[in-house]
Amino acid sequence: MNYFILIYEFFKIGLFSFGGGYATIPFLYHLSEVYGWYTLQELKQMIAIASVTPGPVGINVATYAGLKTSGILGSGLATLSEIIPSFILVILISKILKKFHESFIVKSLLETLKPISCAMLLSVSVGLLRPQIFDIKAMILLITLLILSYKSKKDPIFYMVIAGITGIAIKIFL
Amino acid sequence: MSLLKLFLIFVKIGAILLGGGYVILPIMINEFSEKRQLVTKEEIINYFALAQSLPGIVAANITMFIGYKLKGKLGAVTAMIGIIFAPFWTIILLASIIGNCIHNQYLQGLLWGVGTAVIALLLLTVREMWQNSKRDLFFYLMFILALIALLIFKLSPVNTVIIFSFVGIFIKIFQKGRT
Repeated sequence: MNYFILIYEFFKIGLFSFGGGYATIPFLYHLSEVYGWYTLQELKQMIAIASVTPGPVGINVATYAGLKTSGILGSGLATLSEIIPSFILVILISKILKKFHESFIVKSLLETLKPISCAMLLSVSVGLLRPQIFDIKAMILLITLLILSYKSKKDPIFYMVIAGITGIAIKIFL
Repeated sequence: MSLLKLFLIFVKIGAILLGGGYVILPIMINEFSEKRQLVTKEEIINYFALAQSLPGIVAANITMFIGYKLKGKLGAVTAMIGIIFAPFWTIILLASIIGNCIHNQYLQGLLWGVGTAVIALLLLTVREMWQNSKRDLFFYLMFILALIALLIFKLSPVNTVIIFSFVGIFIKIFQKGRT
């Protein structure tokens, strides 16, 4: 495992992902395609665990991906590399706070990034769904969860718990 | 406030931070404005808005804004290391437990279930972002073009962000010039 590639890739994630929460997932998905550091199945596990453990999801998933790739040293490097761009930007921008937020270019950039983030997350969902499309049980579970979410908005942990219990129940009873 | 105290407060925040990114805002207000009056509520809300418009992890960005405000560069680093401290070791621990009993069939069932929930959560995030956006012609155009670039031309996320940012800003400047 080449640590320089790991640092470089996670630095890019920190610099180019916008929109919090799951915004880093499209990048991690891309890494699994390009380098094969982890399988799609493992990526789903990483996202699940990052969502139910304390701490920011984007950081947790970087920690986990780094660990998968090259052990504890890798998880430390991946986590730090992802944060360094933020650190540099926060220091720079703290000095010109107001000007930055009201700049026309920044506003246009943020307007542009909204549809792009939607498209990126949708395309990752499609990619993760593809191997499961003929798994009838998974599709029923997925549709049930989506219907539940229409009734009322719940915490991510709610969906994880319901789906996890369902998964265990299927192993026991079917 | 000493650096050690700052570090410990952020370790605590990292350990109790569960769920989506917005959870951090009320926690920050409680710790730094209501309990200790170190930063005003308005300042924290401003930092949060700003943290969302910067690249990277929103929670990491706001953490560093507050750390920097209180103790300068060293404060930003201290706050950051504090907030990732508990989550980092939790992940390392959990991952090794899971790695050791990955062939257990109940664990397999559990992972199958939560893996499916992850897809639902991603789709819900898309829906939420979609609903929170001003959907005009520009939005639909950028969305469709990006989706084609990603799904059909397999453009990488980094290149997608770079190329579409330029295109988007160019279109916005052009629109402004015409009005």
